[in-house]
Amino acid sequence: MPVPTRARRATVIVVLLAVLAFSMLVAIGFGAVSVGPGDISRAISRAIAGEARAAGDAVIVDLRLPRVILAALVGACLASAGVLYQALFRNPLADPYILGMSAGAGLGAVIALTATASATALRFGVVPAGAFVGAVLTIVLVVRLASLRGALDVTSLLLAGVAISYVLAALTSFVMVFFRESMASVVFWMMGGLTAASWPYVFMVAPMLAAGLTMPMSSTRELNLMLLGEERAGELGVDVERFKRLLLAAGALLVAAAVSVSGLIGFVGLMTPHMVRLIIGPDHRLLLPASAIGGAIVMVLADLVARTVLAPVEIPVGIVTALIGGPFFIWLLVRRDGHR
Amino acid sequence: MSARLTYADATVGYPGVTVVRGATLGVPGGEVVGLIGPNGAGKSTLLRAVTGTARVTGGSITLAGQPLAAIGPRERARIVGVVPQAVSATFAFSAREFVLLGRHPHLGRLQHVGPTDISLAERVMERTDTLRLADEPVDTLSGGDLQRLALAQALAQEPSVLLLDEATSHLDLNHRLQVLDLVRDLADSGLAVLAVFHDLDLAARFSDRLGVVANGALGPVGPPADVLTAPLLSRVFGVRAVVGTDPVTGSVAVTPVLREGAVTGERCGRVLVIGGSGTAAGLLRRLHLAGYEVGAAALNRGDVDQAVAETLALERVDLPAFGEVDSAAERAVARMASEADAVVVCEVPFGRANLGNLRAIAGAAAKTVFVGEFGAEREFSGGDATALVDQLRDAGALTVVDTERAVAEIDRLTSPECSPRSDR
Repeated sequence: MPVPTRARRATVIVVLLAVLAFSMLVAIGFGAVSVGPGDISRAISRAIAGEARAAGDAVIVDLRLPRVILAALVGACLASAGVLYQALFRNPLADPYILGMSAGAGLGAVIALTATASATALRFGVVPAGAFVGAVLTIVLVVRLASLRGALDVTSLLLAGVAISYVLAALTSFVMVFFRESMASVVFWMMGGLTAASWPYVFMVAPMLAAGLTMPMSSTRELNLMLLGEERAGELGVDVERFKRLLLAAGALLVAAAVSVSGLIGFVGLMTPHMVRLIIGPDHRLLLPASAIGGAIVMVLADLVARTVLAPVEIPVGIVTALIGGPFFIWLLVRRDGHR
Repeated sequence: MSARLTYADATVGYPGVTVVRGATLGVPGGEVVGLIGPNGAGKSTLLRAVTGTARVTGGSITLAGQPLAAIGPRERARIVGVVPQAVSATFAFSAREFVLLGRHPHLGRLQHVGPTDISLAERVMERTDTLRLADEPVDTLSGGDLQRLALAQALAQEPSVLLLDEATSHLDLNHRLQVLDLVRDLADSGLAVLAVFHDLDLAARFSDRLGVVANGALGPVGPPADVLTAPLLSRVFGVRAVVGTDPVTGSVAVTPVLREGAVTGERCGRVLVIGGSGTAAGLLRRLHLAGYEVGAAALNRGDVDQAVAETLALERVDLPAFGEVDSAAERAVARMASEADAVVVCEVPFGRANLGNLRAIAGAAAKTVFVGEFGAEREFSGGDATALVDQLRDAGALTVVDTERAVAEIDRLTSPECSPRSDR
C-alpha cells in the first residue's frame, strides 16, 4: 500500500460524503409519505430562508430531516468510538459495549429518564448528562478495577468491563421494574430507536460528536502508534497513560451522545471501522474520519430499514443493526487468525 | 568523554518488585556496551527503565545530562531509540509506513510526514536491508524482517542513544552479523549503544565493554576479555566453560562444557585418557558425566583437550605450550596408568613431543584401548610410536573403530559394582 497521499485521502472522504448525502436523500424520501428530491430541496430551502411552508413541508423539515441527521450523527459517534477502542486495545473485536460503557451510559440515561418522567422538556439536558455521567463513572470504575494490579493492562480492562456490564444491566432492570409505568417506553428506547428524533436532539448530539472527535482527530499518529503496543508507543514518544485516559474520555462522550438519544445500538461501532479498515488500511488519519462517515451511512440506512420494512409498524433500529452485526461478529470470530 | 546515558547507583524495577539494585554505568557516544547475564536477571529491565516502562526507584538515570524525570516522552524519543526483543504486527501498515512511525517525536501535533521524512526512512531501510520490503504489509513479514524494520524504525528517530534488547535473537546468521556490523558502524560514527546480548560470543565480539547483570546487581563493567572469565561463567551462569580466543575474529570465545551440578552417572573406576588437539575433548566430557574418575595424560597448555580437562577439573599432567613430555611428566602419567582401570588412546598423532605418553602406559597394555588404527598419517616419530603401539597390542591392548566402541570397552574393563568411592 502506498503512503496515503493528500489526493487519495480527499478522494476517499469525498466519495464517502457523496454516498452519505445520497443515503440521506433516499432516507428522507421514503416513509409513510414518499417525497422526491425536488420536494426535499425546496422544503429545506424554504425553511432556511424562513419562507412560508408549503403543504407537506412539515413531514420533511420537522420529522424526516432531523431523524436522518440524528441517525447520521449517532452512527458517526458509535463508529468513531469503535475506532478509538479498537486502537486502544489493539483488538478489532473491542467496542464500547465490551467495556461496559454503553451499559453505564444506559443506566445513567434510564435513571435520568425515570426521574424526569413527567417533565419531558428536562430530558434533553438531563438524559445525555445522565448518560455521560454513567459512561464516565463506568470507565473510571473499570479502569480502577483493572489497574489494581499496577499498570492499566488490556486484559484486566476487558475483564473488568465485562464484569461491570453484568452488574449495570442488572441495575438497569431493577430501575425499570421499580418504575413500571415508564417501562414500555424505556424498553423500546433500550432496544435502540430513533423514534423520538427531533431538532433539539440534533443540536444536542452534534456538539458532543464534534467535541468527542477533536482530540482523536489531532492525535491520529498516536493512535497509529498505539497499534504497536503500549510499550512500543511509549518508546516512540507517546505519553501512553495520559493518552489512554484522554481517549477513554473522548470515547465516553461519543458513547453518551449516542446512547442518550437512541438507547443501546450494537455492532455499528464494531462493524463499521472493521469494514473501513479492510478497504483503506489501518492509518487513523484516514480511518477515523472515514469510519465516522461510514458509521453515519450504516446508521441512516439501518434506520430507513427499521422505519419502512414493516410499515406502518416501526421496529427499533437496534434490532436491524444486531441482525446484520451478529453474523458479522461471528464471521470475525471465525476468521480471527487472519485478522488485520 | 561524558556519557550520553548514565546510571548512577540506579535501582530499577516494577511496582512492588525491585529487579536491579544500585547499577552504575556510563555509555558515551561511540561505544557499544553489552549487558549479559542469565534469563530474568534484569538486563531488559535496565533498558526499560530508560523508556519509562520500568521504574527508577533509587539513584538516577540521566540522558544527555538531564535526569530522566525532566524529559518528556517525545523529547526522550528524540534521544533514545529502542529495538525490542520481539516485534508483533497484527495490522496492515506497509513497511515504509511502519518505519515512518519512528518519525513521530520529530513531528508537530498537526504536522504529518513530509518528503524529508520519507527519504530519511528510505535511507535507514536501505541500511537495514529492508527497502525492498517497503510496500509489503508488515503483518505478512517474517520475524527477522520485522526485527530489522524495528531497527529501521528506531533509526528513523535519529537517536543519539540506541538500546538493543536481544535485538538479533530472531535473525538468521547473515542478518545477525549484518545488523550488528551496522550497529558497530553507527557506534563508530558517534552513537551510544547499550545492548543486551543473549549470545556471549557476539557480546564479546561487538561490545567495547561488557557488564554482567546477575543476582539483582550490575557487576563491574570492563573489556570483554576481563569480564568473560571461566570463574564468572561458573558463578553467574552455572556453566563450566572454556574461555578462549576466537581464532578468526580474535575476540573472546566461550565454549560451554558442562552445567554446574549436572547430574553425573553411577559408573565407577578410573580411566586415563591420552589425547591432544581436540581428539579427547568429547570423550573426557562423556566419561566425566558417566561418573568415572577421569585423568588426562600430559597435554600442552593451549590445547583444546587441556582446556576441557582443566574446566572439568580432571586429574591431569600439564605441559607448557609446545613443551615435550619430559621424564617427570612421563613418570606422572605412568603412575596414573598404573592406578587406572582402563586407558584410552585417542586418535592423536604421535611425534617426539608426546611419545612419552605412549611409553608411560607400557605396563598397562592389558587395560588399554586404542581408538582407530595407528596408520602412517599418525606417525611423526620416525617409527618409534608404531613400535610402541605394536608392543602394546602384542601385550593385549585392544583396538576399536570409534569412541562409541571405546566407551563400551571401558564399561567392560571397569567393575559394575562400586566399592566405596574415594573423595572426588
